[in-house]
Amino acid sequence: MSDTVTINIDGQNYEVAAGANLVDAAKWHAGNDIPVFCYHPKMDPVGMCRMCLVELGTPGRDRATGELLRNDDGSLQIRYFPKLQTACTTTVSDGMHIKTNTQQVIDARNDVLEFLLSSHPLDCPICDKGGECPLQNLTMRHGPQASRMYFEDKQLLEKHYPLGDLIFLDRERCIQCARCVRFQDEVVGDDVLAFHERGRRLQIITHSDPGFDTYFSGNTTDICPVGALTTADFRFGARPWELNEVPSISPWDAAGENISLSMRLDRDFGGKAMIKRVMPRQNEWVNEIWITDKARFGHHFTRAEDRLQQPQMRTGGTLRNSNWEAAIAAMAATLQGADGDVAAIAGSGMSNEDLWALRQLLEGVGAGRLGAWPPTHDAAPHLEQVGVGAGTNLSELGRGDAILVIACDLEEEVPIWRLRLKQAQDRGAYLVVANARDTRLEDFAVQGARNDKVVEGDAIRYAPGEAVSVMRDLQKAHPQIAERLSRAENLVIVAGAEGLSLAGSEALAAAAANFLIESGHTGSANNGLLSPLPGANGLGLHYLGFTPQTTLNIMQEPPRVLIVAQAELLDDDPAAQQWLSQVETIIYAGLFDDGISQRADFILPLQSFAERDGSFVNGERRVQRFYTAQGPMGQALPAWKLFGGISQNAGIANLKPSAAAVMLELSGSVAAFQGASYRALSRTERQFPDVGGRDLYYGGTAYTNHGGIGLQIPTAADRGADVQRRDMADVAELRAGEGELLIMPITRLYNRQRSFRPSLLVEQRILNPYALIHPDDAAAAGTIDGDLIEIVAGESKVRVRASVSSEIAAGGVALPRHLTDAAVPLSASVGTVSRVTDAVAVR
Amino acid sequence: MAIIGNPKYEQRIERHLAKYETKRSAVMPLLYIAQEEYGWVNSDGIGEVAQILNLDPTQVKSIAGFYTMYSEKPKGKYWLQVCTDLPCALQGADDFHAWLKDELGVDEGGTTDDGLFTVEHVMCLAACDKAPMLQCNFRYVEELDQNKMRQLLAKWRSEANGRG
Repeated sequence: MSDTVTINIDGQNYEVAAGANLVDAAKWHAGNDIPVFCYHPKMDPVGMCRMCLVELGTPGRDRATGELLRNDDGSLQIRYFPKLQTACTTTVSDGMHIKTNTQQVIDARNDVLEFLLSSHPLDCPICDKGGECPLQNLTMRHGPQASRMYFEDKQLLEKHYPLGDLIFLDRERCIQCARCVRFQDEVVGDDVLAFHERGRRLQIITHSDPGFDTYFSGNTTDICPVGALTTADFRFGARPWELNEVPSISPWDAAGENISLSMRLDRDFGGKAMIKRVMPRQNEWVNEIWITDKARFGHHFTRAEDRLQQPQMRTGGTLRNSNWEAAIAAMAATLQGADGDVAAIAGSGMSNEDLWALRQLLEGVGAGRLGAWPPTHDAAPHLEQVGVGAGTNLSELGRGDAILVIACDLEEEVPIWRLRLKQAQDRGAYLVVANARDTRLEDFAVQGARNDKVVEGDAIRYAPGEAVSVMRDLQKAHPQIAERLSRAENLVIVAGAEGLSLAGSEALAAAAANFLIESGHTGSANNGLLSPLPGANGLGLHYLGFTPQTTLNIMQEPPRVLIVAQAELLDDDPAAQQWLSQVETIIYAGLFDDGISQRADFILPLQSFAERDGSFVNGERRVQRFYTAQGPMGQALPAWKLFGGISQNAGIANLKPSAAAVMLELSGSVAAFQGASYRALSRTERQFPDVGGRDLYYGGTAYTNHGGIGLQIPTAADRGADVQRRDMADVAELRAGEGELLIMPITRLYNRQRSFRPSLLVEQRILNPYALIHPDDAAAAGTIDGDLIEIVAGESKVRVRASVSSEIAAGGVALPRHLTDAAVPLSASVGTVSRVTDAVAVR
Repeated sequence: MAIIGNPKYEQRIERHLAKYETKRSAVMPLLYIAQEEYGWVNSDGIGEVAQILNLDPTQVKSIAGFYTMYSEKPKGKYWLQVCTDLPCALQGADDFHAWLKDELGVDEGGTTDDGLFTVEHVMCLAACDKAPMLQCNFRYVEELDQNKMRQLLAKWRSEANGRG
């Protein structure tokens, strides 16, 4: 079979992709927007709304001979179906003819629309969707002038039905297209929405516990073709036509979700441009048209009251408000007088431009220690070698391909990857999840029986701390699984750091790289290594020379002067107080004060991602830029301007006029960023499906990508370098001794990190502090489920509730980061658990 | 009681599960069992069916909502569905239905105060030759008249009291 077929749309022939449906084909090839409500290009067609009716004909054949029938003039005889057909459920075939503009078709659309409106409230003037509503748009084109429906017969239903904490359902507006139901089922894999009753009483319901609370719930409001689903964050906040869309990148995780910030000059923000909502921006290689709820609802920190807004300087032992000029001059003097004993620790929220300016400054004062924060994942050197090949698109993984996810919980760490990998499994890819505890993705790997979908998957449960040897010895210990992974056409391995020390995370990535190299899965698209590095720019840190190993070195041998940039050391590291006390001068630049102002000599307010431009490198090595959107908070500066300013003052280099200029210099200096000018980063191309155009009814309100699809840094393997296996005979793994347990910090998406706390809407979904412990270990510690326990590991001492469950293997305790005020260990470490017996209650 | 772990239903559930290629297909017969146990399709029953079939409760609820023979409201112990379609009506089923409601003191679809009887009218049950007729908990009771019905009600009452 050929890859294309020829079809005729309204009298014109088009060559279209075989296997496509008529709606997609007509839109992509002929620019013919067949109206739809229920059909969505990211989901299976169901033909429910009947809006896409067309006249459909196929070449006739003689029944006896099977010969194609011809008219007198020799042309093929086209036989039309007596009734109109739904375009969304019809797959194109050679010679197919459709008519989309005949009176019969237009009448049918008008009738379907009138039917849909029979009980729709038409409350567009107060509807959040008004202005970008498929139903509104199609009503303008096909709707009746006046309703023939008796007004009294209109149904009066709930207008504000909370479908979850974040989403409201307006039952009057719902036209029952089931897009939200199918999104939850097909895309997310959490079928907590369904129809109830039938006919005119049909309603969307949830009867699950917990209900509609996935990390992706906001996407249903984008694909809802009417105003039935709205977010609690944005509803009644602004009208779509008042909003100015600014392309940006989600600041939360390694996925680098492309987002669009909907801006409006707002009274609530002193008349400055303010983020009213966050919408997805299409990037089929990165996040398709989906974003996580954290990206959508987590923008409030950019305007938080407790953000740093004024430069401060310690004079005479007291921290006092200062101004930039004085602070910069003082810092320049301090740095120059430090005899090169200067080091920097930069957080993974810093942009590439910031990091470059910081590095230039340090090099200028003769210092070279550049640390990355948090020092938990050390997979980056291997990602540089054998990361997923250039051009990788996780949505191309399917039958014949394989995915191994080890030592991480993608649902919590990089939800978009979890979403896309689960869909790869749905398409037939073989999914293996290995961890010391249950994770959401593991449920998909093993619960093929759920909903009786036939899926391929396996789970490996290993003892806490054993990830590296499991990966290294996969052939020996799990020969069948290893065999299937090796033989796969394409193989992606996702290696995390859960239950591992920093060195362990490096070793795991090395073992995974070995496997990929051995089985020949490197250097091509859809093959290679991924790692859920924390923050939006974990890989940018690596490419600019900031490493977690250096951070450990800085912690062991603190410098005289330490620059801390956008890293909340005291929140993350229980030992920070101690080692910071050995630093003479601390220069802290950031968004929030985590208590470091007690010690720091300079406190410098930085701008958030929303206030300035810059670029991040996502986990797939894609350099992506974000644009200035929101008005600035106080006197905050972008970090590149601050560090560039100090450099200029110290006579090291001139301050660049813009982030673009910094990037230009950077792209000329660091090989990985070669060619990554802002102009190159803002290049776009046409993507399938064509969302965000005039016909919002097709793909929903995800925005067209006008900000750039980014530029992927090639791996060593991509460039044809000879990547070598590393001998891994000796692997030092963490082992708990008698009476000890392996304390494994884990990441929860919703937590009490300073930047997430201001998003109050999500607050009630943040779990209370807990630790997951195996029943045997709990018994040994004399504790039961719900007890208050104290976990001690190194400098860390936290009190949390015990959650006793065999979801975790014996020997380990999963302790979520950032749920308590006290810092949990940075990485996995050996510790003890005991029941708290003193009567002092700890919240 | 419950369905899961109830010896009364164990074999029946097994039999239904064995009938279908995919587990979820057994959702409808299992919902009947839930309805039988609880008298209506309540949240507990939905949860148990979902657990047995490894489905999300929302999906089970959706099925129960679509089909009218699953009742999502509490019903009396004896659910009396009187056929009042045309052939039955010609045999006096309409009057019979009205009389029965009077006799029990309930409105259409209502349940007696003692929680024993629910009366509602239904479409054709395909027993036109035996009209007036009704089905009691999906079992046919045919060729009814007021006398016979009084006896039956008395019998059911004593049955219920005897056990209760």
